Amino acid sequence: MAKTLKDLRSVYVVGVGWHRYQPLSDTPYVMLGLPAIRAALADAGITWTDVESSYIGTGLLGMAAGRAMLKHLGATGRPLVHIENASASGSAAFRHACIEVGAGIADVSLVIGVDKPGVVQRAFTKTGIGNLADDAIVPFTHFALLTNEYAHRHGVAPQDVALVAVKNHRNGALNPHAHRQQARTLEEVLGGRPVSGTLTTLQCCPVGEGAAAVIIASEDAIKRLGIDPARAVRVTASAASSEAAGSQAGADAAITKDTIAEALKQAQVAPKQVDIMELHDAFTIEELHYVEAMGICKPGEAIHLLKEGAFDIGGQCAVSPSGGLIAMGHPIGPTGVGQIGEIALQLRGDAGPRQHKGAKTGLAHMVGLGAVCYVHVLQRP
Amino acid sequence: MSQSALLKPALYTEQGTERVPDHPALNGGKCACGHVFFPMQTYGCEVCGRQGDALQPVRLSGRGKLVASSTVHIHAARAPAPNAEVKPHEAPFTIGSIALEDGPTVRTVLVGVDEKTLKPGQTMVTTLVPVGAGAKAIVDLRFIPAT
Repeated sequence: MAKTLKDLRSVYVVGVGWHRYQPLSDTPYVMLGLPAIRAALADAGITWTDVESSYIGTGLLGMAAGRAMLKHLGATGRPLVHIENASASGSAAFRHACIEVGAGIADVSLVIGVDKPGVVQRAFTKTGIGNLADDAIVPFTHFALLTNEYAHRHGVAPQDVALVAVKNHRNGALNPHAHRQQARTLEEVLGGRPVSGTLTTLQCCPVGEGAAAVIIASEDAIKRLGIDPARAVRVTASAASSEAAGSQAGADAAITKDTIAEALKQAQVAPKQVDIMELHDAFTIEELHYVEAMGICKPGEAIHLLKEGAFDIGGQCAVSPSGGLIAMGHPIGPTGVGQIGEIALQLRGDAGPRQHKGAKTGLAHMVGLGAVCYVHVLQRP
Repeated sequence: MSQSALLKPALYTEQGTERVPDHPALNGGKCACGHVFFPMQTYGCEVCGRQGDALQPVRLSGRGKLVASSTVHIHAARAPAPNAEVKPHEAPFTIGSIALEDGPTVRTVLVGVDEKTLKPGQTMVTTLVPVGAGAKAIVDLRFIPAT
């Protein structure tokens, strides 16, 4: 029987940092990543020489981005690796850093997600197998098809779905690292330019750049380096999957349901115990879809809970307290790492105006083209 | 129509199947394990991994049920245009996911549809539409609501 992360030695998030997510600018990626890493090191109260390995999550930067950036912290000669899994690159980097520390190969590891918008090289278009119209189907449209199916099945009205965006923009307005920091009325959300189906620009994640960093450490390192254990958040589950044969439309929802269930089982947590959820809300309807897949309510019920405020900060479960992909943003590499950072802040009680009181259990979910899925659970005792 | 060149002759034929003779058939494949897929390929079966002779071409009827659709309002044409003889896609256009009667689910552009009345579950059939940008008559496959 294969082991889970929880079977290895305990792994903790001890430091978090960001460079604000923002529209494409002239800032080189190195100057997006370095401030995020330095902020995470300062947050953890450790120095760069304490870090034993680095995992760089990036989807778009191109080959060998890491050392050209990390050397400016001091070229320590320690191992570094780049991890790419489309939108889930940061989540994948986080998982593998956790496994390395859990396995005892490193005591302290850096996860840095960094990206800038660029020409997206999709290797899967080079298989040599033809397709009917893939040149007309961008990732946006893929998720729009998913949401169309959900909306028809549950009779969800566009103005109701848009409430997800109202919530997430409100949360983003409280987040100094968010791409979009402006609260929006329902009218503003609905009145925007249509992108796909009934979804308007404010209901879709923006294209942007940024960086997010987390430091992972073992209990030994926490003691040795004098890290405050009260600020350490344990990673109690890591689950990952890819699309299996036989799934047609809705592969992302199918793998989400199974992978979240696996993560909750590993952490021994029931869906209703989750206080914070950060998920892949590239489109508003996705949030409803994944919340239901998590099991916090029955299919079709999420919209009712949303309207009652159950998913607000302060509600039953704060969903996308950071602002989510819609307002916090989705620069690709940083996204999954930033989710972990937000959950860590929440569980430490450090989320300021975004604080969800009494948060003890957080769940981070991402899907990526493939499809692939990652779910992590973080807990405070 | 029969004087037009097919844009992707590896993927479909003008001629229909016995069961659905009036609509272009799709060039799919069938594995010895029973899995039916589109398009035809010999790299390996997604269910069992068999390759080579275990994978045989099979013609799929050009009819299926709509699973989901989405109208694309903003589309950046991938520059440079892949084929100068072919008109690029121009927004708005509608993408549909169609579960073919013969098994596989395919995704492509829908024509003759009204975004507001399209319903998952409705029957769609294949058709060929002109896509040539210049003198050469070229057609490509689309799905259209069955009448």
